[in-house]
Amino acid sequence: MTYLNLFANCLLVKGANRSLICDLQLNKSYPISNGVYDILSFLKEHAIEDCIDKYGLVNEEAILSYVDFILYKELGFKDDRILEELAPLNLSWDNFSDITNVIIEYNENLNYDCQFIKQLFNLNVSGLEIRCYHSPNLEKLGAFLETFNGTVLNHIKLILPYSSDLNIKVLEKLIKKNLRIKNFLIHSAPSDTTFKVYKDSVQVIHFAQAINNCLFCGMIRSAYFTTNIELFTESQHHNTCLNRKLSITGDGLIKNCPSMQESYGNMLETELDNVLADKDFRKYWNLKKDDVAVCKECEFRYVCTDCRAFTEQTKKNNEGLDISKPLKCGYNPYTNQWDEWSTNPLKQKAIQNYGMQQLNRDA
Amino acid sequence: MEAATDYVCMWLDFYKATFTRLNGEDLFTLKGLGSLPKNEDVAMVWYRRKVASFPTRYKLKKENFDNQYVMDRFLNNEYDVLHNHLCYLIDKQKWLNDPATEDKLNKLSVLFLAKKLGLNIPHTEVLTDKRSLIELMQIYPQLIVKPLSECVLFSDNDGAYFKMLTEVISIRNIKAVPETFFPSLVQQGINKKFELRVFYLAGVFYAMAIFSQENKKTVSDFRNYDDKRPNRTVPYILPYEIENKLSHLMTALSFETGSIDLMVDREGNYYFLEINPEGQFGMVSHPCNYYLEREMAKVLTNKCSA
Repeated sequence: MTYLNLFANCLLVKGANRSLICDLQLNKSYPISNGVYDILSFLKEHAIEDCIDKYGLVNEEAILSYVDFILYKELGFKDDRILEELAPLNLSWDNFSDITNVIIEYNENLNYDCQFIKQLFNLNVSGLEIRCYHSPNLEKLGAFLETFNGTVLNHIKLILPYSSDLNIKVLEKLIKKNLRIKNFLIHSAPSDTTFKVYKDSVQVIHFAQAINNCLFCGMIRSAYFTTNIELFTESQHHNTCLNRKLSITGDGLIKNCPSMQESYGNMLETELDNVLADKDFRKYWNLKKDDVAVCKECEFRYVCTDCRAFTEQTKKNNEGLDISKPLKCGYNPYTNQWDEWSTNPLKQKAIQNYGMQQLNRDA
Repeated sequence: MEAATDYVCMWLDFYKATFTRLNGEDLFTLKGLGSLPKNEDVAMVWYRRKVASFPTRYKLKKENFDNQYVMDRFLNNEYDVLHNHLCYLIDKQKWLNDPATEDKLNKLSVLFLAKKLGLNIPHTEVLTDKRSLIELMQIYPQLIVKPLSECVLFSDNDGAYFKMLTEVISIRNIKAVPETFFPSLVQQGINKKFELRVFYLAGVFYAMAIFSQENKKTVSDFRNYDDKRPNRTVPYILPYEIENKLSHLMTALSFETGSIDLMVDREGNYYFLEINPEGQFGMVSHPCNYYLEREMAKVLTNKCSA
């Protein structure tokens, strides 16, 4: 008898009409039909010979080709038994910081040299996104960036509007001031391009559209999918956008995400501990993709990010949490088709509620 | 710096533990012996490792390859005396692993201790001549030669590096072996199915199986094989019997942490290979989602409050 052993970090995720094999070590994913999903699931407990018996000799060639696919992609190996000692991957998720990622809608007229910001970054925050909707004074921005030297922050993403002065030299000067900068997103650019600076270590994305307010967030695209152990495990238990996130709006207001309605005080007048202790502030942190309508039947649910700020506004759960599908997702897991979300007739009401009509016309 | 240590420190912050991190590099900016940690201020010490590299390099006025080597050795010895002084400053029982025992660890005696405790080890010999090698080959057709100590990097005058590796000796390449040679470790070659890297932490084993390239049966049709693909690393559960014997070994060596290398052959037999008490656990922690940095921080905080 021959058995197919799938590696524990290669997981099968079943969707409504299609499934996904997620290789969490090599960070790749492979769409498969639900028929293949059923065969691979059967093979987890049965010999290849038994599988052929069950599905009939007519399917032998197909079954063997699935096995070959697994071997070719190194997602598993053949043996004379199922190796029970190869334990399943523990899918728990944990982090050493109450807040792991921060978004700041940068306003150079605000004083960030305050107690709240100090306490926040003392939590060992690892990621920071600084959004500039308008061209900032680069001297001032540089000085602000320097305040993060000496923290354990390891990833800064800078969002800036395009300007002809923002050449490679200027970007590299900013990086030199803070080596934590790992990404630039330059919006309102002449064209969509991507390149690397600072000895190819920092990615610069030129984005043709304008990002001049927080209505632009929450886009779901296949290009944003990430297959890795961190996102896959976090998404089993938490919201993949809002969990352990804290944002400071351009007005200095503390929010879970800048695009959400609820705010939890001004950073100049609020104690961080009080925000962290506020159940309302964390209310979406444990709302998983498995709880969200449509998403829960999507094969991409553990490699995708979520959005609770802009949804189709069709469903709420018992606790009053919005569990409808993200508005800006054009994927249909029942047909496996991607369509333009903004022209979907079923979404027009929500689009109007958010005041996004203008946005769509610009895009 | 050292990523696993960074994470342990952040978990210690999360648990609100008071701690000091001393990097080997910090000794190069030492402001007198008085600024070293004091025994009475310390409840518990975790020794990760000595130093990644010296932050400064001293050059001789007149460049000379041999003298530079002697110089480097001298500086290493100088550094070691200061470094080892730390081990005596703080009481032995406060160290998670006693660094003095770690230092004295002998690869050969650990192997035979493991064997005495009932673990399988590859047949192990130290030989000095070709004849005995051929005799041993009658029983074990494939032998391996590896250092008794650690693999080193050789460099030449032009700065090229040569890494020492484990060599396989069989009837095919026996010709190249000289009649007599420096006392060398010779072991039975194992027909391995996979390797196991096990991190032991305060009584708990965290095992990972490593399916390596050389062992993989690629279907001959797929010739466009990408060599850069890493080894597959997945969580593993050790049989109770093996865990039990390894526990005895760790107790006998009085280690609270350590990285243990094992091998499983095609028939499913387990072979003990070696222990590295300094414990490189980052490579086991992340692929298996074990959160060993958190577990280490927990062990340290619990032992302090106990």
